[in-house]
Amino acid sequence: MNWLRIVRAELRKLTTTKMPLAFLIVFVVIGAGNAIAVAFGTDMDGSKTFISTAADQQSLIAFAANALVIAGLFGAIALAREYGHGTVVLTFLTTPRRPEAVIAQYAAAFVAGSVLGFVGAGVIAASMALGLSATDYGFMVSAADLAQVLAASTFAGGVGAVLGAGVGALVRNTGGAVTGTFLALVILPPLAVQMAGETATWVPGTLANVLSGTDNAAAVAAAIAAIALWALVPAAIGLVAVNRRDVV
Amino acid sequence: MNQLSDLKTGPTDRSYPMSIEPATNSDGGAAAAQSYPISIEHVTKEYSGSAVVEDLSFVAQPGRVTGFLGPNGAGKSTTMKILLGLASATKGSATIGGIAYRDLPNPTGTVGASVEADAFHPGRSGRNHLRILADATGTSLERVDEVLELVELSHAANRHAGGYSLGMKQRLGLAGALLCDPPVLVLDEPGNGLDPQGIRTLRNLLRSRAAAGDTVFVSSHLLGEVEQLADDVVVVNGGRLVAQGSLAEMRQSASIVRAASPEALRNALEGAGGVVDSGQSGTLVVRGLSLDEIGEQSFRAGIALHELSRHHDSLEDRFFAWTGDADGGTQSNTKEEK
Repeated sequence: MNWLRIVRAELRKLTTTKMPLAFLIVFVVIGAGNAIAVAFGTDMDGSKTFISTAADQQSLIAFAANALVIAGLFGAIALAREYGHGTVVLTFLTTPRRPEAVIAQYAAAFVAGSVLGFVGAGVIAASMALGLSATDYGFMVSAADLAQVLAASTFAGGVGAVLGAGVGALVRNTGGAVTGTFLALVILPPLAVQMAGETATWVPGTLANVLSGTDNAAAVAAAIAAIALWALVPAAIGLVAVNRRDVV
Repeated sequence: MNQLSDLKTGPTDRSYPMSIEPATNSDGGAAAAQSYPISIEHVTKEYSGSAVVEDLSFVAQPGRVTGFLGPNGAGKSTTMKILLGLASATKGSATIGGIAYRDLPNPTGTVGASVEADAFHPGRSGRNHLRILADATGTSLERVDEVLELVELSHAANRHAGGYSLGMKQRLGLAGALLCDPPVLVLDEPGNGLDPQGIRTLRNLLRSRAAAGDTVFVSSHLLGEVEQLADDVVVVNGGRLVAQGSLAEMRQSASIVRAASPEALRNALEGAGGVVDSGQSGTLVVRGLSLDEIGEQSFRAGIALHELSRHHDSLEDRFFAWTGDADGGTQSNTKEEK
């Protein structure tokens, strides 16, 4: 058993189609919108208060919550399409002990999601700097805070991709996996908060903001553990399902 | 030039054409010295209580090409998936060299398989598809180019697999199966979509592998192709084994008898355990008895024989006899099952 080589194979799978390029284009589009908003947008009173402090700017470039969702969709599509295209047959022929194969898929999804999260945050930060150049304000986020934003987005991207991959492995259908991931990250958390207000601290969006340093609802270590748990539960369910089912 | 048409391999020679050397991987390379019979033992597979494969048993021997035949839905693909650990058997076991696929120490170095003709990402190039397999199996990337050359797909290696014809996809699947130069090949309908040149190439390749001592197990519904390719055949219908054995024996497993009193002779032969069908022009087609036994039975019954000869069925004739009814067709003096 050589983990390195099967993770490398899974990474090659993720990087030899146009899917990463499609997500990069999404980031560029978001970044362009962000730059335009920063350059030309105003508050209700016509001022530019929303970019007037370092904290405001850090909130604007805190990409972790978005990275969680976007990388989640990436992981869901990547895994579900393995089943859709039948390439999972080759995965299980080369690595017949399925838990090992699925863990390698999750590991590759984590790496790819982390890269997506990092690149996404980088694009947003760069677009913000570009937009600010057309205003009276400079880029005020400190290097340390920028590093925290990038690190948070990187981690959230990795976690989101594993969550999506778990849903993809469970559902095995691209549409269903995308829907399931969207439900898990976007629809269900606010519903949970509505039903039980005390859960607000532990929903993915809040946890991502804690990691980015723009919310102090929880300790960073607790936020890391909680956000990882959000991914590990569907990932574990997906692994068990894959191990029990026939490949048809 | 068809680069596979000049194959010169012998039973003890695992050298392959076009300077293709056996691939090595980090699990120890090709397992050339050991032979690996494929053994299916009392395998049953049920979905929702309904048996797709039922108490199926047979062996595919090393050094021979075994054709796996049956109509659509007969259970061929399911059996192959059980063999390769892609589906679990409800009962029974499927092994390669006595070991279940998932327990083989070097599965891809032992078994090369192509069970889904379309198992490619349409947006990925053929070369990258094989590179992924090479990564996963620890095989060198140079070997990817070698097998692409071997299956004559080098010219399209950088094109997206989604644009390949069915024949090209079959070649890519075969390249994947050959990547680690395994001593066992399991191929599901590998001839589908191939042009005549491709079919000849495939036949030469598989024959050469068997001649080198490899176990070659091929499902197909192209009976004419199997007739030219296989040494042995296993026939399933409705999930059950209906016939297995040497193709040569099976094709000669019937006798033609013409007698003065055909009905009396039919009774005598059936009484001796033969299976008798009516042939053309009043002849009887007898299975399950040798020529000597037929002669002795007719002598004892006092029936004069006007003709007694071996009948050479085509595989197609036999196939339809085997699969023509759900009970498993007729019997012959090879290992046919009720």
